[in-house]
Amino acid sequence: MSLFSPEEGWYHKKVSKDEKMWMVIALVLCIMLFVWMVLWHVYGRQNPSSITYRTNTVEFGKLSDAYVKQNMVGMDKGVPIVRPQPNSDVFVHAQMWRWSPVLIFEKDQSYKLHISSTDVQHGFSLQPVNMNFQVYPGYDYVLEFKPTETGEFKIICNEFCGIGHHTMIGKIVVIEKDEDLKQYGYENLKKAPDTIATQNSGKPLSEAEMVLAGEQVYTLKGCITCHKTDGTTIIGPAWNGLYGKEEKVIENGKTISIKVDDDYIKESILHPQQKITVGYEKTPMTTIPLTDEEISQVIAYIKSLK
Amino acid sequence: MFRTCDITGFKVDLQSQKLIKVNAVFAVISLLLAVVAAILLVFTRYQPVHLLGAEWYYRLVTFHGLNALIFWIIFFEVAGLYFGSTVVLNSRFCAPRLGWIAFGLMAAGLVMSNVIILMGKADVMLTSYTPLKAHPLYYLGIILFAVGALVAVILFFGNLMIAKREKTYGESLPLFTYGLMTAAIIAVITLASGAIIYIPTFLWSLGIIDNIDPGMYKLIWWGLGHSSQQINVAAMVSIWYMVSQLSVGGTSINERISRSAFVLYILFICLASAHHLLTDPGVSSAWKVWNTSYAMYLAVLASMIHAFAVPSSFESAQRRWGYNKGLFQWLSKAPWGNPAFSAIILAIIGFGFIGGTTGVIFGMEQTNIIVHNTIAIPGHFKGTVVIGTTLTFMGITYYLIPLIFRRKIVGFKLAQWQPWLFFIGIALLSISMIVLGQLGVPRRHWDSTFSGAPFNYNFNPAVDFFWALMMLGGVLAFLSTLIWILIVVFSVTIGKKITGPQDMQLKVSPLAPPAKKHKGFEAPGTLILTLIFLLVFMALFFLNWKWLAATWNVK
Repeated sequence: MSLFSPEEGWYHKKVSKDEKMWMVIALVLCIMLFVWMVLWHVYGRQNPSSITYRTNTVEFGKLSDAYVKQNMVGMDKGVPIVRPQPNSDVFVHAQMWRWSPVLIFEKDQSYKLHISSTDVQHGFSLQPVNMNFQVYPGYDYVLEFKPTETGEFKIICNEFCGIGHHTMIGKIVVIEKDEDLKQYGYENLKKAPDTIATQNSGKPLSEAEMVLAGEQVYTLKGCITCHKTDGTTIIGPAWNGLYGKEEKVIENGKTISIKVDDDYIKESILHPQQKITVGYEKTPMTTIPLTDEEISQVIAYIKSLK
Repeated sequence: MFRTCDITGFKVDLQSQKLIKVNAVFAVISLLLAVVAAILLVFTRYQPVHLLGAEWYYRLVTFHGLNALIFWIIFFEVAGLYFGSTVVLNSRFCAPRLGWIAFGLMAAGLVMSNVIILMGKADVMLTSYTPLKAHPLYYLGIILFAVGALVAVILFFGNLMIAKREKTYGESLPLFTYGLMTAAIIAVITLASGAIIYIPTFLWSLGIIDNIDPGMYKLIWWGLGHSSQQINVAAMVSIWYMVSQLSVGGTSINERISRSAFVLYILFICLASAHHLLTDPGVSSAWKVWNTSYAMYLAVLASMIHAFAVPSSFESAQRRWGYNKGLFQWLSKAPWGNPAFSAIILAIIGFGFIGGTTGVIFGMEQTNIIVHNTIAIPGHFKGTVVIGTTLTFMGITYYLIPLIFRRKIVGFKLAQWQPWLFFIGIALLSISMIVLGQLGVPRRHWDSTFSGAPFNYNFNPAVDFFWALMMLGGVLAFLSTLIWILIVVFSVTIGKKITGPQDMQLKVSPLAPPAKKHKGFEAPGTLILTLIFLLVFMALFFLNWKWLAATWNVK
C-alpha cells in the first residue's frame, strides 16, 4: 500500500513471472550498455582522448602565439591561417570571443590539437560534423582528429562565455590537394612580416613595418573580436579614425572628454577598466597582456587607420 | 493539534499543514517566475522574433534555470517531505519552529539570488562555471537556500523518528514515505556537494580564495546539479505510487522489488557528475566509463524496474476491480477524468520515452560527443524534469488542493485538460530541442545567425521547422502552466470550502479487492508496454551510434 504499511508477508511475496522477465531484460541491457562503451574503445573510431596537460593561461597564450607566428601563412577576416603538417601538434587557442587560428587540414590525415582557453570555459563545437568538446583554461586538452571529408567547417562556441558568446566562431578547411585551396579563396597565402627576425637584426622598424607588425598583433591577440576597422561597432569602438578623436569616457563614475593619443591608448590596453568609453559600459574590456613594443606597434596601426 | 481528515481518515497535524501550504505556495511562485522567463527565452531563440537583447537573454537563462530547477522543485519537495512524514504517518511535526526557520532561509535565498540576477550582477548561468564570476550575494543566496533545504530534510528524519517511536503507522513505512526517505538521503549527499563547492566559490568571489579550478568545480558542482535530479526522480516515483493508491486503490505488485529499486538510486548515484565530464579534459576514459556506469548502470536499472512496477500497480488494481478483458481494458477504463491520474500517466510516458531514452544514450561516453552542450541536452532534461517531475507535481496538486487546502478545485473542466495540454506542449518543445541539438544547434546561445562574427555558419535548413515546432510547444506549455497556476490560485483563495467526502471532485479510491489466485503474468499489458519502450530505446540507441560513427575520427 503506497500510503499504508504494506500487508503482512510483503517481504516474502514471490515475484511475478512478468516482472522477473522484465528485470532480467533490463539488467542485460544495462550490462550491455557498459560493455558497448568499452568495445567502442577497441573497435570504434570516435573516443574522447585521455590526454590532458596542466598549463596556465599565460603559458598557453605564449605557446599558441609562438605557434601561430611561426606557422602563419595568411589571414582570413583578421584571423591567422595555419596549415599544419600531418601528424603535427597544433595549438588551438580559445578566448573571448574567437577561435584562433583558422586551420587547413588534409583529408584522412591526423592532427594533434592542443585546445585550451586563456580566459573562461568554452565549448569546441565542430559543425556540421557535430562533434563537441569542453575547453578549460589551465588544461591543455589533446585531441587527435582525422577529418574524413573535405569542405569548410566551422567551430562554434557552445559553452556560455560572456556577452559576445554568439560571435565566437572559427574555421577549419579540409582539402584533398593544393588546388582545392582556390575554392576557399586561399590561393595566395603568404607569410606576414616576421617581426622577431627584424627585431633580432637590431634595426628599428620603419613606420610602415610598425603598422604591419601592429596589424599582426591585432590579429594574433584577437582585438578584432571587439574592435573592427571598417567603422562598424559591435562590442568596442571601431579603430578607424579613432586616433586623434575626441571621446567621452567615464572615469571614476564621472564623464569626461579626452583626446585619443598614444598615452590614452596605452592606458586603455594596460588598465582597460580605468576609462570606459561612453556607450560601451556594459562590455568592459579584459586585460590583454602586451609588451611595450607590441603596444607601440598597435598604436602605429591605429594611427594608420583613417 | 490534529484534525482527522473526513475523506482519507488520516490524522493531520495542523502545524505541519501550515508548513506544507507555505512551501507549496512558494513553489508555485517560483514556477511562475520560471515560466515567464521561459516564454521570453523561447521567443528570443525563435529567430524570426528574436525578442530579447543578448544581455537579458543570458540573464533570464540564469534566472529561469535557478527558479525552475532549484526553487520550484525543492520548495515542492519540502512540502512533499513534510506531507509524507506527518500526514501519511498520522504523526506530528517534530519541530515546527525550526520548520519556519528553514522556510525563512529558503525564502531569503530565493529573494537574494533572484534580485542579484535581475540587477545584472550574476550573468553566469545556473552552472556558474568558474572562472565566470558572479556577485558574492548570488552565491550567498544559494547557500542560504541550501542550508534551509538541509534543515527541512533533517526535520523530515526527525518526523520519521517520532512516528516510529510513537508507533503511528504499522510495521514498515508506507512505500510512498519510503521513496521519499531515499529522496531525502540523496538530498543530504547532494546538499553536501553543494556546500563543498558553493562555499569556496563564495569566498573566491569575495577575493579570499585566489583560484577555483574549473575541472574541480565542474566535478563537484554536478554532484549537486545531477544528483539533485535523482532526488526529483525518487520523489516523483513515490508520488506515482501514491497516485496509484489514491486513484485506483493500487500498490506495487511487489513492494520488496520497488523498495530495492529505490535503494539502488542511493547506492549508484554517487558520481552522477561524471555524465557532465564525458567530453572534458582532465579525466581519463577509464574514469569516465566506470563512473557513468559502475559496470552495469544500476541507477538506470532502478528506473527500468519502476517503469514496470508503477504501471503494473495500476494494471493489477484495475484488473482486480474487474477490468480484466484483453491486454488493455485496464487502461481504457482507467479514470481518465481524474487530472491527477492523467498527469501521472503522461508523466510516466514522457519521462520514459523522451527523458529516459535520451538520458541513457547521451550519458554514454562516446555518444556524448555528438550532443554535449547542444540544445539536445536541455531537450533531454525537459523530458525528465519538466514532463516527469513538474507534471507529476502538477498532478498531485489536484489532490493537495482538496485534501490539504480543503478547497474545491475551481475550473475542474479546465483542470482535466491541463495535463494533456502541458504534455503536448513540453513533448513538442523537448523533441524539437533534441532534434535541433542533433543538428548541432548550441544551448545557451543568443543568436544562431552569428551576427557580428568573423565567419558565418548556416545550420541544416531543417532547423527552421524545428524552431517553429519548439516555439509552438513552448507556447502551449506556457499557457497550460498559466492555467494550472490560475486554477491553483483561485482554488485556494476563492474555491468552495470542502465540508466532506461529497465535495471531492477527484475520486479517492478504496483499496482494490485482494487478488484471486492467478497463474502466469500479473500485468501482461504493462509487459507489452515496457517491451515497446525497449524497442524505441534500441532504435534511438543505434541511430545515435550510427550518427557518431559518421563523424570524423578522434582519439
